[in-house]
Amino acid sequence: MSNYYNMPKLPTENSPKVEIFVDDKPVMVPGDTNLLEALKAVGIETPHVCYHPFLPVSGNCRQCLVEQEGPRGRMLVIACYTPVAPGMKIYTPASSARVKNARKATQEFMLVNHPLDCPICDKAGECTLQENYMEAGQNESRMRPEYGKNYHGNPEHQFIDAKGQVRGGKHVDLGPRVLLDEERCVQCDRCVRFMRSIAGSEQLQLAGRADHTYITTFPGEKLDHEYDLCVTDVCPVGAMTAKYFRFQKRVWLLSHTPTISMDDSLGANIWLDHADGHIYRVMPRCNPEVNRSWLSNTSRLAFQNFDKNRLPAIDVESLPIGKGKIALVAGGSCTMEDLAALRMFKESLGDGAELFGGSLLKVGAPDGIAKSGDPVANRSGMKLMGFADVSEFMKRASEFETLVTVNADLFGEDAAVAKDLEKINCRIALSAFDDATARKATIAIGVRHWSEVQGTMVNSLNIIQKLNACPVCPDENLEAAYEVISELAGNKLESASAAFAKATEYASALAGLTYDSIKSTGKLLEGGNA
Amino acid sequence: MAEVVKVCTQNFGKGAQDIEVYKKLGGYANISERLFNMSQFELIDYVQRSNLRGRGGAGFPTGMKWSFVPRNSGKPVYIVVNADEGEGGTFKDHFLMMEDPHRLIEGLIIAAWALGSRAAYIYCRGEFLPCIESINKALNQAYAAGYLGENIMGTKFCFDIFVHRGAGAYICGEETALINSLEGQKGQPRLKPPFPAVSGAWKSPTCVNNVETIMALPWILQHDPSEYAKMGTPRAGGTKVFCISGDVKNPGVYEAPLGTPMMTMINEYAGGVVGGKLKAVLPGGSSCAPLTAEEAAVATMDYECLASMKTMFGSGAMIVINDTHNMVDLLNCLGNFYSHESCGQCTPCREGTGLLHRMLNLIVAGKGHDGDVELMQSLCGGFGGVTICPLSISLGGPVSSYTAKFRADFDEYIAKNPDHAKPRVQETYRPGIFW
Repeated sequence: MSNYYNMPKLPTENSPKVEIFVDDKPVMVPGDTNLLEALKAVGIETPHVCYHPFLPVSGNCRQCLVEQEGPRGRMLVIACYTPVAPGMKIYTPASSARVKNARKATQEFMLVNHPLDCPICDKAGECTLQENYMEAGQNESRMRPEYGKNYHGNPEHQFIDAKGQVRGGKHVDLGPRVLLDEERCVQCDRCVRFMRSIAGSEQLQLAGRADHTYITTFPGEKLDHEYDLCVTDVCPVGAMTAKYFRFQKRVWLLSHTPTISMDDSLGANIWLDHADGHIYRVMPRCNPEVNRSWLSNTSRLAFQNFDKNRLPAIDVESLPIGKGKIALVAGGSCTMEDLAALRMFKESLGDGAELFGGSLLKVGAPDGIAKSGDPVANRSGMKLMGFADVSEFMKRASEFETLVTVNADLFGEDAAVAKDLEKINCRIALSAFDDATARKATIAIGVRHWSEVQGTMVNSLNIIQKLNACPVCPDENLEAAYEVISELAGNKLESASAAFAKATEYASALAGLTYDSIKSTGKLLEGGNA
Repeated sequence: MAEVVKVCTQNFGKGAQDIEVYKKLGGYANISERLFNMSQFELIDYVQRSNLRGRGGAGFPTGMKWSFVPRNSGKPVYIVVNADEGEGGTFKDHFLMMEDPHRLIEGLIIAAWALGSRAAYIYCRGEFLPCIESINKALNQAYAAGYLGENIMGTKFCFDIFVHRGAGAYICGEETALINSLEGQKGQPRLKPPFPAVSGAWKSPTCVNNVETIMALPWILQHDPSEYAKMGTPRAGGTKVFCISGDVKNPGVYEAPLGTPMMTMINEYAGGVVGGKLKAVLPGGSSCAPLTAEEAAVATMDYECLASMKTMFGSGAMIVINDTHNMVDLLNCLGNFYSHESCGQCTPCREGTGLLHRMLNLIVAGKGHDGDVELMQSLCGGFGGVTICPLSISLGGPVSSYTAKFRADFDEYIAKNPDHAKPRVQETYRPGIFW
């Protein structure tokens, strides 16, 4: 397909408003975008398959048809490729039978060669084709069984089933993480455009033409990329499925918790999809300013270890803190609330205590998609809260007699560098996992993992984002790190909003914010440059 | 048959493949002081006055197409010659290039001067090997004679022509698909706008013209544009090279003025219908609606008359069908062709053409049912104006018109199925209700 597809222009808060006529009624819509987005902004949903707001427009599904008044009369146009122009006249199915029929016809054609195996399809419940069918189709089939289906698929993968029907390829192994069901594919081209334009590594292609088109990798190549699981998100049907989630759970049984991935300082917005106390999958959550709709495989698959190797909760009245100097080290996944509690703790300990934050891992380069490369997720927050970098602590480690780490696995991150820390007599670890630091600690106190707590973080773009607690905590007695620390400091913070209020006292950049005022897509802090 | 002026086919059979013969026949006379003294606007005005319309099928006025090409975009202007010729029944470009390649080169030099172009590409169907050989030989001769290359005829004008062999996809005759193919991408039509005149090959202004259109230019320049316009109808000037095939005595390539009556073409040029009585004529290639014998009797071969009869002039490829043929067989043949040639981009075309072909196959195999024809007509309604390019209409149009005009042929085939009245689903069948 052509490489000349252009990215769609999305409306922003600053978009100029223009007046257009939808079904002869004047409405004000964003003027610098396409018709599909403009109609969406005024609450008119247009069914579409191939269009994706963060992928170049290819306009091949022909599902988003609307009628436009033009010099040659009313013409059917695709909403995703038609720019908004002031005064344009648009007709939707609400007033135009022609649009309604055209969408219905497209829907019918799309289902002609699509296997109706929704009961065993992993995408059922979140399938664009199903959604469009409820909106635009709902037609009784007019086909006779004699007409048959011409299933899409690589001739090498096709087989003849028990009824004598030639079937397309099933569970074709594309690479280490993705499986392809060729006959379910509707040739929307999204995965191809994702790999070409977003991942920047053209690994997928549409081979063949007409109704023998099928998706494939290049001969002898595999689909293998840090972002390859995103093709399973963009796939509107059940053609691309992720091996880790395939047949694990019906999607309508999953509950979704919106939160932030705390393994990178970009803070990719994610959904934690969970059911019966377990996370089943992690999906990217759309945030145009941060990770758009993308998520790296590392962030996506990290959940598999969230409930393994956990530290138990222990009841600690007070810590055996000696006289000398005390280092309080916060790990990269500490929320603003944890940092506020640490500052309270420092104040309660007096002058001998110092605050550090960060990790011993190397900072990488941003990949321009959904990772900044910095493993310390809340690094910006640490700066706002007055935490020195952990490298400072490593230089002066011999000065300290007590070390308190909060979700900072210094020994696990770089055992050689951290070796010197063993000279510190009293090492107290607050950690979600029974990691190397916890095992070497004098006292190891289990706390909740970031996926199980409420809180906030400031990402590398200086956007403060909100974490929500996913109800998957393996042990009800576990408490969030800020609760444990603030209790030790003698003033237990009972909730995330109380802890956040404490954080606003310490960090001037957060002044005026409350926990509840932060939207799900975050808020840009002043002085930041998103 | 009155003697007609021949524009494109005048050198047929005279050995004009050789540059010396071509020059003796008056060739390359245009490439002179006179051409290089004309301004671009003068030349485009010349072509506009000649009323020359694109000969590829759509019939867009050539002068107007040229005037859309931006002059000061800072990018090179490319001329692309569409010699893909994939439409069923069309074989004129093939002959034109084989018999008179130098006329194409001369026409291209004129077009290049008009558009300020530095390079032209002849996108030729890969299977036309003798034709490509002929063109390449002519190109070598033209380079040697100084008509192509650097500083043509001692002027500062430089111009090169390249021959590109396509791989034979029908859709690569669509101009944006052709450009994609030329660039080395998959031959699939692009979303428009931008149109190729603004952003075509390598994102530069590109003018895509048919072989015959370009080959008419030397004559127009040699004579007066009004003389060319005079030959045709008021809205389309000149002569047209017709390809007549099917059930006629002398199938072949014939040049005649636009507006010639259809029956004159069939009876006088092609020697009349053989094997039976006239049943139908496809006036402009396989994708147009057929005319019945009665309609053919009053039709004239020009853009307006055929458009008023709800068919199209297309590439001027007349396919004559006698009454021994069943139209369903023909339509099945088209279904096979278009469902195979769909590029696979747009949903209606990708899935719909294949479905129509399967339905036609069943009817031909004697397994048709009552209601199949109505369903096909209804499905074709879903093709109209909803796809990127008109390939879906190329099958949808014939299906609608064949079924409307020759319904008896379909009923005859469907009646061969003993179960043709069987309903689609059992009367008692209802989808289960679970909720």
